[in-house]
Amino acid sequence: MPKSDQKTYTFHVSGMHCNACILMTESELKDVPYVTDAKSSLSSHSVEVTGAFGNKTPEGIAEELTQVLRPHGYGLSVERVQKDAGWGDFVYALPIALVLITAFVLLQKAGLTNLISGGSVSYGTAFVIGLIASVSSCLAIVGGLVLSLSASSAKEGGTWRTQALFHAGRLGGFFVLGGTIGLIGSSFHLGLTANVVLGIVVAAVMFILGVNLLDVFHFTKRLQLTMPAWASRHVVRGSRHDHYLAPALVGIGTFFLPCGFTQSMQLFALSTGSFMQGALTMLVFALGTFPMLALLSFGSLNIAHKPWKGIFFKTAGIIVIMLALLNLTNSLATAGIINPLFNI
Amino acid sequence: MNKLAISISIVLSALLIGGVVLMGSQSSGGASGVATVVDGKQFIDITAKGGYSPRVVTAKAGMPTVLRVQTNGTFDCSASLVIPKLSYQKFLQSSGTEEIIISPEAAQGTMKGLCSMGMYSFEIDFQS
Repeated sequence: MPKSDQKTYTFHVSGMHCNACILMTESELKDVPYVTDAKSSLSSHSVEVTGAFGNKTPEGIAEELTQVLRPHGYGLSVERVQKDAGWGDFVYALPIALVLITAFVLLQKAGLTNLISGGSVSYGTAFVIGLIASVSSCLAIVGGLVLSLSASSAKEGGTWRTQALFHAGRLGGFFVLGGTIGLIGSSFHLGLTANVVLGIVVAAVMFILGVNLLDVFHFTKRLQLTMPAWASRHVVRGSRHDHYLAPALVGIGTFFLPCGFTQSMQLFALSTGSFMQGALTMLVFALGTFPMLALLSFGSLNIAHKPWKGIFFKTAGIIVIMLALLNLTNSLATAGIINPLFNI
Repeated sequence: MNKLAISISIVLSALLIGGVVLMGSQSSGGASGVATVVDGKQFIDITAKGGYSPRVVTAKAGMPTVLRVQTNGTFDCSASLVIPKLSYQKFLQSSGTEEIIISPEAAQGTMKGLCSMGMYSFEIDFQS
C-alpha cells in the first residue's frame, strides 16, 4: 500500500475507563485490515488511528470502527462527546439498589437466626450457619467488601482468576486458621478498639471503591486503586505471575473481619481442642457462605461485559456506599461515640 | 431519557426509603421490660438471639444490679456483647446465661449494650 494513502485521525472513545481498555481497543483496531496503527490514551479518552482510509470521511471511519468495538462496549466519535457520567443510569440503578437494600432489611426482620436451634454444633449446623451468615448481618461487611472488590476488579479488566483466588484464599485460610485455633486453643478475637478501627478501615475502603464504581466524581480517580498498566498487560495477555498473592491474601484476611457468625464459629473451633475438628468446622462454615459470595463476585464479572454494565456498576456503587455508611455508624456506635442509628 | 421513567424511578425510590425509615422507627419503639427487684438487688433479664429482647429496660438508678444475658443457640452477632459504658466486651457461649454485675455507681442514666458490629442494641434506662 503506498505510503501517501496513510492518514491519521484522532477519535474520542466512549466507555474507556481502565488501563486494560487501552490494550483492548488498540489490539481490536489493529485487527482491522486497513488500520496500520492505533494508539489509545486513557487520560484524554481518545485514540489515534493511522491507516489507509481512502476517501472515507472521518465520520464514516468512526462509524465503521465503532462496529468493531461495539461488542466490547466502546464507541468512537469525531466530536468529543461531553463526558457522560451516565446520570441516566441512576434512573434504574437507584430504585434497584433500594429494592435490594429493602429486601436485605426485611430478611433480617424475618428472624433467620431463629432457624438455628440447640447449643451443639455439628458440621451440618456449621454449614447452615454459614448459609444464614452469608445473607445476614455479615453480608453488610463481608459481602459488601466482596462486591466492592470484585466489581472494581471486573471494571479494571480483572479475570475470573482473581475472583477464584480470593475464594480459594478464603476457604484455605478458614481451614488452616480454624485448625490452628483448634490446636493452640487461643482465639484470634480482636479487642474492642481493634474491632472498631478495623470496622472503620473496611468502611473507608468500601466507601472509596463505591464512589469509584459510581464513576461520577472524577476527583476520586486519584484515590482509585487502579491496576498499573503493566499489571493489566499481564492480565490481558493471560500471563500470570503477579496476581496470585493479593486476592488470596484478602481472602485469608476475611477470617479476621468482625462478623458475629464467624466469631462464634471460631469460638466453637477453639473449644474443640483438635486441629482437624477446628479446621473442618471453619471450612464447612466458609463453604456455607460460598454460594452467596460466589454469586456476588462471579456475577459482577459476568455483568461487567454486558451492555447494561453501567447500571450494574452504579447499583453496586450505591449499595456499597450505603453498606460502608452502615458499617461506619455501627463501628462508631460500638465505640460509644454515637447512639446506634440502625437496628436491623 | 424519558420523563415517565424518571418519575417512576423517583416515586419508587421515595417509597422504598420511606418504608425502610418507617420500619426502623417502629422497631425502635418495640418491646420494653422492667427490672425485677429481689432482696435489695435488681435483676435485668435480656435474651440475645438475632438481636436483644427486650430492647428497652427500665430500672432503678443507684441500686446494685445484675444484668443476665441469656443465649440459646445464639451464633449471630448478638453473642458478641459490648457495653461501652462498662468497657465490657465478651463473646458469650452460644447457650447459657451470662451474669454481668453493675455497681450502684455505674447504674446511672442510660446504658447501652450492642453487638460488636453494632447492628443490634438494647438500652437500660436507670431512673432515679
